[in-house]
Parts: sequence; structure tokens; C-alpha cells
Amino acid sequence: MPLVYDELRRIAAGYVRGERPGQTIQATALVNEAFVRLAGERARQFNGRTHFLAIAALSMRQILVQRARSRNAIKRGGGPQRVTLDDINVANVEAGFSRPELAPGDVDILALDEALSRLAALDAELAKVVELRYFGGLTVEEVADVMGTSPATVKRQWALARAWLKRAIEGGVTDTTAEPS
Amino acid sequence: MTPKQWERLKNVFQDALEQPAPARRAFIAERCADDVIVLREAEALLATHETAGTFLDEPARVDPADLETLVPGTVIGSYKVLDEIGRGGMGVVYLAEDTRLGRRVALKSLPSTLAMHPDMRQRLRREARAAATISHPAVAVVYALEEMGDHLFIASEFVHGETLREEIGRGPIAPERARAIALAIAGALAAAHEAGVIHRDLKPENVLIKPDGGVKVVDFGIAQIEGPEATRLTRAGSMLGTPAYMAPEQLLGQTVDGRADIYAWGIVFSEMLSGMHPLQRGPHGASLRRGVEGRGRTNDVHLTGPFATVIARCLHGDPASRYPNAKELISELESGLRPSLASGSGPSLGTGLGPDPGSVRSRFWWEFHEALTALVYSAMVVPAWYTRGQIGGWQGRTFFIALVATVVVATTARLHLWFTSRFYPRELEWVHQRSSRWIRIADWLFAATLIAGGILIGDEHSPLAIVLPSVAVGAVVAFLLIEPVTTRDAFKRSGIETSAV
Repeated sequence: MPLVYDELRRIAAGYVRGERPGQTIQATALVNEAFVRLAGERARQFNGRTHFLAIAALSMRQILVQRARSRNAIKRGGGPQRVTLDDINVANVEAGFSRPELAPGDVDILALDEALSRLAALDAELAKVVELRYFGGLTVEEVADVMGTSPATVKRQWALARAWLKRAIEGGVTDTTAEPS
Repeated sequence: MTPKQWERLKNVFQDALEQPAPARRAFIAERCADDVIVLREAEALLATHETAGTFLDEPARVDPADLETLVPGTVIGSYKVLDEIGRGGMGVVYLAEDTRLGRRVALKSLPSTLAMHPDMRQRLRREARAAATISHPAVAVVYALEEMGDHLFIASEFVHGETLREEIGRGPIAPERARAIALAIAGALAAAHEAGVIHRDLKPENVLIKPDGGVKVVDFGIAQIEGPEATRLTRAGSMLGTPAYMAPEQLLGQTVDGRADIYAWGIVFSEMLSGMHPLQRGPHGASLRRGVEGRGRTNDVHLTGPFATVIARCLHGDPASRYPNAKELISELESGLRPSLASGSGPSLGTGLGPDPGSVRSRFWWEFHEALTALVYSAMVVPAWYTRGQIGGWQGRTFFIALVATVVVATTARLHLWFTSRFYPRELEWVHQRSSRWIRIADWLFAATLIAGGILIGDEHSPLAIVLPSVAVGAVVAFLLIEPVTTRDAFKRSGIETSAV
């Protein structure tokens, strides 16, 4: 885990150096690059590519959720205490505010994470598929590899999970599904 | 919904999707006729599915900068990350636990772009080493610079409290409290400058106010890594440092010393008092331009209200015209101002910097005493010359030399005090403290020499035999009884406890 995480960070640092700030990259690209980099020298330390992909997807989920949380915290005006940075300033904070966080097609990461945790309680396998596909950027085939199932199964699972999550995020699931009745 | 129902729902839903779209609803109704819960849920999911559009189809996107984040629970060396507590272009600050010592620390992660640069690392190491030597209650202690692979962290004292920015955000701070905070910051700066560390980025965000009112200045010297090199290395577009608080010479990239911190201190102080940045009423850029253009002149800065003169001097475009060091700030705030504040001369203390009238009057008598004493002592050289002749021999010479020596010491020191009081009043306390003991010793020797001279003449009809001991007694009375009174009156008003000269 720390190894994958470090590699993701290192790659990200490369992106930060080279690209325009604020430009996002797809999880797929990042995870694949991390694998290519690690595979050369350290592939043996992983239980093959599938293991790596699973870890990478989990890392990405944690990173994105953590980031979304801290953004929210800044919006709320901070927690009980704040330690400052040398360069947080009004301009920066305002820039952070004005950044459109939910462009059309974007997902509220925190709501998704929460719904995904609920889905995992109901059906861990479905949740895992979502984690791999959405956060890890894996293709259906890669997900099937990781899960040890077939692409067809993954597709079926994906359709259900996606619909369930959308309902959950929009507030339609709590009463009927999550609670045993 | 039971696990069994969920299994059933799954199968029904997934099977339904394999039917042609128009037939799905009927398919579900048929399969779930006996379980209304599963039926309703399956119908709802199908409806959602049909309107889901591209929901989640695109994998998550991530801002690469976000990957520099450490999630809580991550262990870095001997630190366990507990929470993220701040963030900016220069890195992320975490609350972490130092598992070796079992204490909480603020762990500042520096951007890996900087960390990977050898020169930058070297500079950071130097700066962290210097910062770690600062010892002052208002300075957050730097514990360590941790280098782990490509990652650089600065572990420092975790300060629980809010930032001065937050306090200013609630409106102007009362002058007496603002003064206390400004004094604490000045103390922190003085200690840092003594340790050879320039803050370089003092601003309300870097001043923390603890719940007990204590003040802590954080991030000493970390801004050192800023500069053209750092700007190039970190993400373009993210604002490094805070131009609004930077002295003109700093903005222009010239060599910076402690007086740049004095400048920032002036801005922060002014902002505390007025709730507003003194140089700007608009966006940050405006102040930046103004700061640079206003180099060497302060006329375009219109300051009013308490401490205006102090602040104006701090904000001088030319560093040489500012206070030379933070200690000066402290004595400035501690001396002339307290009486005028205490006497409640109100918020308009625009002229509050000069000594108040009371202290001027009392210091006059003290100055008068010093000057007069010096004059009388010097005048004694003339009778001493005649005494030398009357005594004669080596005794006469010794007497004369001893007297001149004590006179020179006592009068020089006194005239120096007088001169300081007239022309460098801010240095007076310091000079006074240093010289009072020597003056006292010279005084005693002076009196003793005069009495010895009177005895050595041995001729009771000589007027000098009377004059010398009389002057000696007079001098003793003056420095034992009169001088303490004028000294006390002159110095107690500036709040300095001194033993009388």
C-alpha cells in the first residue's frame, strides 16, 4: 500500500510540475502510469497486476475523499482549530471557493463515498466493482480480472450498483433498502 | 430488506436488463409478484437506471496536486497522520502524532517538487536548523526537519487556537489588546532575528491566538524557500508568499533582512487596529503595485488612529527609515505609549508617540540635575589644582590625579546620559542601566578624594580645607537624596524599574 501510494504521489508531482495547475487527469491514466513504473522494478512485490490495481483504486478513493473533505472544511470556515500555511491567503481561499466543484457530469465525491459504504454493507462485491471502475479507472475486463469473474458479470453488477448508488445519493434508498424490513 | 430479498432483487434487476427495454417493467412485475418490497425496489432501480445517463461512466478525475495529500492513518516515519489542518500552494499541514514521544505535532509537508530539488533541500535544512534554535514563548517550536525519501516534512509545535486572521475577521481589535498582540509578535521577531532567522512571511494567518490568549507566531523562515527558484519549481499560478505583507525590497527580490519583518509587523498591527489592510481597500494586486511604487516614500499611506506614527515608521519604503530592529518596536510600545493609553486620551492617539507631558516635565528636572552635577564636579578641578600646591609632593599629585579621574568618569557618564535623554530618548533606559553603577562608584570616589584632600592640606585656616569636605558632603547628599527622586520620577513613567543613579 505505501509503495503504490508513494508512486501515485510521485507521478502526481510530475504532473504538477509539467501541467497547468488545476488541470485534472483521469484516474485511469494515473493508475496505469503507476503500474508501468512499478512493474519494471517491483512487480514481484505485488500479487500480480490485479492486486496492484485493487490497491491503487482504494488509494485513489481515499485521496479523493480526503481532499473533498478538506475542501468542505475550508468552506465551513474550518474546524475547531487551524494551523496556517505560509501562503494560504484570502485570494487563494477565494479562488478555491469560486472553482466550480460540480461541473455537469461531476459527482459529489463525499456523497458517493458514503453511499458506496452503505452499498458495501449490503453487497461488498458490488461496492468493490464500483471502486475499481470509478476510482481506479479500470476497464470492465480489468475489473473482471481483479474480481475473478467474467466481464459479463461485471457489466451486470455495474448496472445495478450504478442505479442503486444514484438512488442512494438522491435520497431514495434509505428507507426501502438499507434497513431490513 | 433481508439478504435473501437483496439476492432476489439483484437477479431480477440484472435479468430485466437483458430484456428489451419496453418489456422490462412487465418482466419485473411478473417475477416479483409475491414480494412487494422487492418489486417496488426493482421498479425504482429500473427507473433510475433508465434516467441515469452517464452517471459514473467516466472514471474519477483527480487533480494531481491532490495526490500530495496524506490520508489520516498514514504513517510517515514515526509520525501518524491524524488530520489535515491546512493547505496551500506551499504544502499541506497535518495534525500528526509523533509516536516516539507520544506528542501531537503540526506536520508540514512540503511540495515534492521542492523536496526533490537539492539546493532547495539544503536551504530548507539550514533554515530549519536556525529556526529550531529560536526560543521564545511566542514562537511555535520547530522540532525537526524530516526527510523521508522524496518527502520533506517540518514537524513543529502543534498550536491549538485560531488565527489572527479569524480574529481580525470579526472586526477591529481594541487598541490595548492589539498592542499586547503586537508586542508579543515583536518579541517573537526579536528572538528570531537574534537567532539569525527572518520570518519573511509574517501575516495574520501566521499568528495563532491560543484559547488562553497566548500568541504564537508560526512558520518562521519557511518562506525562505520562496524566491525566483521556488516560484519556478512550484506550480505556476499559485501565489507564493503574500505580497500584501511584503516589504518593497522583498517584492523587488532584493536582499532582505529583519526590517522586512518590521514592515510586515506594521501592516499586521495596523490591520488589527482598523480591521483593514492599511495599503489597500481592494484586491491584493493593488497593494502589490502600490507597495513597489511607494518605495522610499510613505506619503501615500494615510494612517490615522492609535499608534499611527509607529506604524507609519514601520511602513517606510526605505528599510533604513524603519525601526532598525524588533527590540525598538518593543521599547516603543512599552515606553511612550502606555501613559497616554492609560490616561484614556481616546482612540485618536495619532500623536501618541511622543512622551506624555508629565514625563517630559519630570525628565527635565532629572536632566537638569545631571547637567548641574557635571558642571559642579568639573568646576572642582580648579580648587583641586590649588590644593595640590598646598599639599605638595607626591601626595598632592596623587590627590589631583585621583580627583580629575573621578570627575572625568562621573561627568562624562552624566553628560552622556543627558545627551542621550535629549537626542536619543529611546536608548535612554539602556544607557542608564549600563552606566548608573559606574556613576555611583565615581561619585563615592569623588567625595572620598575631596575629603582626603581636605585632610591632607593640614592647614585649618586654608579655605580649601573647608570647601573641599563641604563639597564632598554636598555631593553625597545630592547623589544619595536628590538624584534618586528625580531619577525615579523620570523613569517610573516609562515603566522601567531602575535603581536611582
